[in-house]
Amino acid sequence: MTSRFPGYDVLAKRNTLSWNEPTRRAIDKRIAVPPGPRFFSVTEWETLCAVCARIVPQPRDRPPVPLPAYVDEKMFENQSDGYRFAELPPQGEAWKTGLAAIEAEAQAAHRAGFHELAATEQDALLRRMQKGELDGPPWRGMPSALFFNKHVLHDIVSAYYAHPTAWSEIGWAGPASPRGFVRLDKGMRDPWEATEAYPGKEDKARRENQRVV
Amino acid sequence: MKTTAPPLARLMHATRDDVRHSPRLREASQPIEPVAATPAAGPVRLLHAAAAILGGSVLFDSAVEHYRGSFQNRAMFLPPISAMLNIGSSAHGIASRDTDAHPLRSLSYVASLAIGALGAGFHLYNVTKRVGGFGWQNLFYGAPLGAPAALALSGVVGLAADRIAANEKHTGEATLLGLPAGRTLAALTSLGLMGTVSEAGLMHFRGNFQNPAMYLPVTLPPVAAGVLAGAALRPTRRSRKAAKTWLGVTSVLGVAGVALHCYGVSRAMGGWRNWRQNVVDGPPIPAPPSFTGLALAGLAALTLIERASR
Repeated sequence: MTSRFPGYDVLAKRNTLSWNEPTRRAIDKRIAVPPGPRFFSVTEWETLCAVCARIVPQPRDRPPVPLPAYVDEKMFENQSDGYRFAELPPQGEAWKTGLAAIEAEAQAAHRAGFHELAATEQDALLRRMQKGELDGPPWRGMPSALFFNKHVLHDIVSAYYAHPTAWSEIGWAGPASPRGFVRLDKGMRDPWEATEAYPGKEDKARRENQRVV
Repeated sequence: MKTTAPPLARLMHATRDDVRHSPRLREASQPIEPVAATPAAGPVRLLHAAAAILGGSVLFDSAVEHYRGSFQNRAMFLPPISAMLNIGSSAHGIASRDTDAHPLRSLSYVASLAIGALGAGFHLYNVTKRVGGFGWQNLFYGAPLGAPAALALSGVVGLAADRIAANEKHTGEATLLGLPAGRTLAALTSLGLMGTVSEAGLMHFRGNFQNPAMYLPVTLPPVAAGVLAGAALRPTRRSRKAAKTWLGVTSVLGVAGVALHCYGVSRAMGGWRNWRQNVVDGPPIPAPPSFTGLALAGLAALTLIERASR
């Protein structure tokens, strides 16, 4: 996959004026996420890893963002979103129920663990969950579509875009602390922001992205 | 005519007869006639200085603000260039022994007047094309309408200097636009001060007057503008003295504003270390000296009024 922001690494800003000590501390802590699992059982963890790989497939040419570890950490430390849908149990319970149910659906349909299925089979199962078609006893009355939207998508995608690897990929400059943004109109960028590569101008963007600090 | 001075020793020992018979010595012994300095030379120089200060304010302010705008439009290079030319012209006007107008100088001033007017039009277009059109939000955050006016004012003040000098030299009377120079200039300066007050008021209102010092440029210069207009309408000794005091206060305010804006930059997140953001995003450091420039123009007007009333 060709990068839209070639040569841009948001972590190169770590020791520049763009970031201060609290910012560095926060991001260091985020990168140093414990590998897990601390909250989930081994079976749940295997299922979670397989779900994450289907929700946000990652390129092989760079270290992946450890998505299951972030979901596990969020549940382990009970970092709540501050709200809960009335139809859903508390987030930890929802995830445990959901993962067990996904695993049970895989066993029922394919006589294999979810993580052992082919990607297409996994996708088919996830799609049925997204449409709310899964409502057997393992779900314990939890609406599968709501679980998919409010936890599977929300927690995994949030974890992905909270990681510097994703920031480099989308050309985001990282936390605006202390240095924020000045040029806010469309098509404008500050000198400390990534340069987007336009077709045929990739090398120019790559050169400019070496200088982004 | 160029003459070489005879050696001092020869002059000192020359007898009356020597002088009578030597044309060179006769010429050299004549009392030196001073270069005919017109009475307006002082205020004219002050006006050039005022134009230079206004030009300096515009040069740095427009350079920083248009850099922020990434010079998206080529025309955004014009104001810093024009301001620079005005500074050169004003420096020439101050240094020049000849108190007459100078065509190139006047051309630079006229150009800045035109570019200022054009810029005001561009800035108005920028404000109206934004979502929501002409309204407070866009007046606050769009291109500032008052900034190009400062460039035009630099041109007006410089032109006034040239016109007053030329009229005085050729007609013996310090006039401007066919009117008494001092009073006309005082009126122009009062208007310019009030325009600058509006700009500062708009920006400081946007900044919620979060520092009490932000009230100063919307309270002191209007008084100066008022008493200056008063001195123009009723030129008495007392009115001139009041105007002089308040214009002095206003000129100091312009300098103090620079220091206060520097303080403002230091207060923004990251402070001066984060200057690449905060100088661009924080209070404009080069803007306040516009008050100093206009105050000097006002002082020049007062001197001219005083001379006319003698």
